[in-house]
Amino acid sequence: MFQTIPADAPPAHAATALPILQLVGVRKMFGGFAAVEGIDLDVREGEFLTIVGPSGSGKTTLLRMLAGMDQPSEGNITLRGELINDMPPNRRPTCLVFQSLALFPHKSVGENIAFALKVKGVDAATRKKRALELMRVVRLPDNYHDKNVMKCSGGERQRVALARAFAYDPDVLFFDEPLSALDYKLKKALEKELKDLHRETGKTFIYITHSLEEAMVMSDRIGVMRAGKLVQVGTPEEIYGAPVDRFVSEFVGEVNTLKMTRAGAEWHGVDVPGTFTLAPPKDGAALDEAFVVIRPEYMRFLAPGDRADNRLSGAVYNEYSLGSRIQYQVRVGEKVMLVELSRAHALAPGASREVTIGWDAADAFTLGS
Amino acid sequence: MATTPAVARRRTNTLIWIWTAFVLIAVYLPIVCGALASFNKSRYFGFPIKVYATEWWQKTLDSIEIGMLVRNSIAIALLVTAISVVIATFGALAFARYDWKGRRLYQKLILLPVFFPQPVLGLALLLGFNAVGIQTSWLTAVFAHLVWIVPVVTLVIAIQVYGFDPSLEEAAYDLGCTRVQVFREVTLPLLWPGIWSGMLFAFLLSWSNFPLSLYTAGADSTIPKWLYAKMVAGYTPMVPALGTMATLGAASLLLGGGLIMLLLRRRQPA
Repeated sequence: MFQTIPADAPPAHAATALPILQLVGVRKMFGGFAAVEGIDLDVREGEFLTIVGPSGSGKTTLLRMLAGMDQPSEGNITLRGELINDMPPNRRPTCLVFQSLALFPHKSVGENIAFALKVKGVDAATRKKRALELMRVVRLPDNYHDKNVMKCSGGERQRVALARAFAYDPDVLFFDEPLSALDYKLKKALEKELKDLHRETGKTFIYITHSLEEAMVMSDRIGVMRAGKLVQVGTPEEIYGAPVDRFVSEFVGEVNTLKMTRAGAEWHGVDVPGTFTLAPPKDGAALDEAFVVIRPEYMRFLAPGDRADNRLSGAVYNEYSLGSRIQYQVRVGEKVMLVELSRAHALAPGASREVTIGWDAADAFTLGS
Repeated sequence: MATTPAVARRRTNTLIWIWTAFVLIAVYLPIVCGALASFNKSRYFGFPIKVYATEWWQKTLDSIEIGMLVRNSIAIALLVTAISVVIATFGALAFARYDWKGRRLYQKLILLPVFFPQPVLGLALLLGFNAVGIQTSWLTAVFAHLVWIVPVVTLVIAIQVYGFDPSLEEAAYDLGCTRVQVFREVTLPLLWPGIWSGMLFAFLLSWSNFPLSLYTAGADSTIPKWLYAKMVAGYTPMVPALGTMATLGAASLLLGGGLIMLLLRRRQPA
């Protein structure tokens, strides 16, 4: 018999595989302060999971607990069903790529990469062979084997750190913002390489970053953290397309947020005048007060006769070129609304700056908080 | 007439030269004088030297008494170096690497002995040894030296500890090292320059220490103790001769230590 698999179905392994890592009610207290507050999370075998959050949201603490460098104050962390709360890092089949990379400055590129093998007592010839193999995997030239690691460039060091982690042959790799110190172009290139390596090796990657942009490019799933809690976990599309609250929606990028109150069946603007049509909230909650979040790319200028579910009148007072796109700042009363258009749809230079902007209810999110 | 910038710069340079020369002469002239005095043929100290001779150097090298006290000085310095470097390495890690309750107090307390007047420290230790009934000898001097030298060496090594990223140790631990392997593979090699300087400091500070040895070495003599005793009574040019030898010994140790350091750096991967 044949089964039809919908195009947007997750890969088979993700649906069927048992979680490789499981967190239940994990908390970490420092004195009276909870850095991580009750995290429940299942990490699937082979997935690329990114935890994003602003600095101080507890993501590094969470990662350190997963790697074994900190112990949870409460809750359980299990790896393939085994409780590993207090298992030290050297006995865990996991490896962390540090933000500072933590390359050993007194060792050559090859010695850094083969470090885990040396610790295990593997002989020198085998170590060199394996180091060279891994150098090819991360695209480092063979003659770098004996190079002083401190004389490598930022991107090369990145690759050494990655190869060193692979040499340990971990089941799960952790990344603590390893790309944050690099320039934009190199970062973009390495993000793609990391994603390729993830696919080629089939290992489970858990990556933390404060940049959602980075997370979007690489991840199978994203978890958004705020103040020690996981606010939302989902695919990049879910995070982008169905944020659970304003924090998540604003974290993804610049958005327009309007506060509304309900009077009977009608929604009235609080910051802007008028009545509006709102899509029902995704969780089906009955709200008397709501926030409407509209991404700038779903806002458009309306010509007379154009129809839209909702409209506002205002004046363009600023426009920024974002390269292929243009962002307009439109003042509506006290409120500034953002409209982002591709260059092809830009306002003509001579056109009036007094504009009507609008959006459709289905393109916006209705959120309770 | 106004001074041009070029003239002003020349004047500044001249002043710098004069100042530097003055400092260097003030520091090194006494050592040179000591060396010259040791080459005086006459038994009595006085400039200008009428006849130069190396006989007092020969006598110094031949003296059994001096041979013994040089051996004492070396034995004390070596033992102090060995013990202090072990205590100070772990002390420096506690000082600079680990966060623990009472660390700030420890950081202050460990440094205090450096600022004690040494004669007072020596006297206090002597009274202490007497009180518990320990016969003073070169071994008690080793203990006294340690009280003063361990803090200095701790500080020297702590500077090196501050300079290295603690995540390096975590990385090694994460890559499968036991605690011992982390220490051997990462901590020790990275602290090595600091440990090496600490060892040189320990040896040289012990080698040249007079006040602590005076009080706590008992009947055993050391080079500084002997120099003092002979200056007080029984001067011969053997005093400056031995003093110059001790200085040369220290200088060559420092030079050798620096060279070894340089060679070790060279051995790192290109």
